[in-house]
Amino acid sequence: MQNNLSTILKSVSKPGRYTGGEYGQIIKDKNKIKCRFAFCFPDTYEIGMSNLGVRLLYGALNSEPEIWCERVYAPWTDMEEQMRAHNIPLWAHESKDCIKNFDIVAFSLQYELCYTTAINMIDLAGLPVFAKDRDDNMPIILGGGPCAYNAEPVADFFDIFSIGEGEEALVELSRLYIKMKSEGTYTKAYFLREASHIKGFYVPSLYDVEYNEDGTIARFEPKYEDVPKKVEKRIIADLNKSYFPTKPIMPFIEVVHDRIMLETFRGCIRGCRFCQAGMVFRPVREKNADTLNCQAREIFKNTGYTEISLTSLSISDYSCLHEATDKLLAWTNPNKINLSLPSLRADSFTRELMNKVSSIRQSGLTFAPEAGTQRLRDAINKNLYEKDLMNAVRLAFEGGKSQVKLYFMNGLPTETYEDIEGIAELAKRVVDEYYQIPSRPKKPVSVTVSVSCFVPKPHTPFQWEPQNSLEELCDKQKYLAEKIVDRKIRYNWHEAKVSRLEAVFSKGDRRLSKAIALAQQKGMRFDAWDEYFDYDKWMQVFEECGIDPSFYANRRMGYDEILPWDVIDIGVSKQFMVRESKRAYENQTTPNCKEKCSACGANKLGGDLTWCPKMK
Amino acid sequence: MVPQNEIMQIRIKFKKYGSLMYISHLDLARTMQRIIVRAGIDIWYTEGFNPQPKIVFAVPLPVGVESECEYMDIKLNSFMDCEEIRQRLNANFPDEMEVIDVYVPEQKLKNITYIDYELLISSKAIDDNSPEQIEKLFSNDIFVTKRSKGTEKQVNVKEYINSLKATLIGKDLQIRAVICSGSDKNLNPELLIEAIKTNTRILNGSPLEELYSIKRKEMLDLSLNIFR
Repeated sequence: MQNNLSTILKSVSKPGRYTGGEYGQIIKDKNKIKCRFAFCFPDTYEIGMSNLGVRLLYGALNSEPEIWCERVYAPWTDMEEQMRAHNIPLWAHESKDCIKNFDIVAFSLQYELCYTTAINMIDLAGLPVFAKDRDDNMPIILGGGPCAYNAEPVADFFDIFSIGEGEEALVELSRLYIKMKSEGTYTKAYFLREASHIKGFYVPSLYDVEYNEDGTIARFEPKYEDVPKKVEKRIIADLNKSYFPTKPIMPFIEVVHDRIMLETFRGCIRGCRFCQAGMVFRPVREKNADTLNCQAREIFKNTGYTEISLTSLSISDYSCLHEATDKLLAWTNPNKINLSLPSLRADSFTRELMNKVSSIRQSGLTFAPEAGTQRLRDAINKNLYEKDLMNAVRLAFEGGKSQVKLYFMNGLPTETYEDIEGIAELAKRVVDEYYQIPSRPKKPVSVTVSVSCFVPKPHTPFQWEPQNSLEELCDKQKYLAEKIVDRKIRYNWHEAKVSRLEAVFSKGDRRLSKAIALAQQKGMRFDAWDEYFDYDKWMQVFEECGIDPSFYANRRMGYDEILPWDVIDIGVSKQFMVRESKRAYENQTTPNCKEKCSACGANKLGGDLTWCPKMK
Repeated sequence: MVPQNEIMQIRIKFKKYGSLMYISHLDLARTMQRIIVRAGIDIWYTEGFNPQPKIVFAVPLPVGVESECEYMDIKLNSFMDCEEIRQRLNANFPDEMEVIDVYVPEQKLKNITYIDYELLISSKAIDDNSPEQIEKLFSNDIFVTKRSKGTEKQVNVKEYINSLKATLIGKDLQIRAVICSGSDKNLNPELLIEAIKTNTRILNGSPLEELYSIKRKEMLDLSLNIFR
């Protein structure tokens, strides 16, 4: 197989995607391994290698002597063609062995539009795509990542889902597998039943779902008494003690995030009502500055990277930010290492912070006001004031920047055309601000307005919301284009058709599986890539399957309705979600976790909590 | 700033083989910067707005070609023993790369004139007459289409060949060719394969049954001595 692989590499684009052999990859002696684990990323190597979560889990699993975890990426279409033509099944990066014979095959499901690619990878491995068609001799196929918080659209393909943070849970699952195999008690059914008792694992085949005539869910219950009614997500209690990879794999080819990625904290204090990450990663747990600094030094020594990026959902909310950056800068500056702080909030952007981040090479800054008026920013609980944004851009302009990028969303709940016009006006005021600064750079200002479409997400206060129709979204995009007249403002908008499909799968249920299977059969994959996204073909697939996409994307769900994702407990209570949803319609903000606890309920999950009151 | 005379010039000769033949020159350059930094070698950085560790490579290696004789030159800010450098680099190299030698340069990189290539071909169409056929093929004018950046050009391969010898090794055909590979005159060895494909029957079947590999054996100067 190795030989064949080597030959076909000559005829594909970017062969460096498939070679493996990177410094830092983990090779183990197959004979000493009791669990071969394939960690699949349903997108290209360049994107998969940039995912910190995957790197973390790769390292955590490989710290176990009996487990060998390898990486698998989706082959690009030219490679797939060659593989199918020459009967080369999907292989793992490190050993080049076919993953068909592995014990556990896990998929990181990062966004809804990767579903066809994931299913296609199962097919490329030579395995049946539907879970019910795979027998005791085939690997257990597991899904995890953000999409697992509503895994229903892909529930028929996966045997099991890992809910929440996986570094401890996946090791426990593998140990159960090893134990059953060595005792000789393993059958797929028995393993899955036992696995459903481990906290954080959801086995969709162990639940019955019944529907009402109107298409809503009538009943969603476990088939057996010992199977939990609700699956509570897993969290890592203490980030200072938990595993963090300090010897990452060094890709040869350029990947999207080719730098040291240093995780600072999990969770977000803000509670923006549209944001899924802000809800599902609760409660907030921080790493202290010393842990961070030690890890950074270790990674630098092991990689030779010359850029460090501090990652989080909102870096300026990190309570040790100043202490940590001081500690880091003491050695990063002399070593010519750049420090970057993505995800900066405009209201915490200070001169001191700007001077610290060595953004010499960046000529611009990015902020995300999300909405054009204060009213709408309040309704979505962004908790950002125009004066804060103006203050931030002024500081940036005074500091020599001439480019600012502003992120907004169209189609947010309660949005009016006045709010859309507000985006154009806000951008104009940013332009005007620039020309009022005597010390501004000697070049024209460039303000980029980037507008995406709101996608209602499960486990958020906006989970019941309908998405605007495609026509509404397009009308709104056109309206904004007419309102932006200043040539110093560049306007980008997100393809509404893509967002609509995202909404369908975000809020979807089990009945969507057949559409995804049909789409894969029709050759659809890489839906998140412009060159392969085909909306009309998707609509055709839905029609053939008798599915109405509007039922999922454009219907307001009732507070008392059984939601497809109710089986998953993220720790945040439904009462809190309802409360937040109602407050949005009253344009009422909710204080952030640091100011005042709003009793979302996530503190019941425990852990080394930074802001939450401890449960007794 | 370190005075110029204290900057130490170092030449590193290394191998790159196996699946790493698919790693392009640009990717190798970026990888090498990181290897040197993590090896703790006190490399000299370029001056200016965006300082970069200064590494100069000899004749870039085409994708799909292995090598036993790659060269790169670096400058050091402070003295380090050559053996120490060799060990540190090898400890930080990926599996399919290896340092062969570290020394103070004796010649200039531009003195490289030829590269001695080894081509290995395995195919059912190879027989006892194949070596003679190949040697004859390349002793005459032989034009091949060279494609680069969307343009096509006819190249007479013969003009680039200093010497060429073909032999049978078991059932496989081995070709050793010394071809022009300097900054003035340079030929991609894939064009030799192209010439064989278009003018013989040796490589005309299924790509999975007929295999070929290309490897750089040595870089040579004008007098055909091994480059130092």
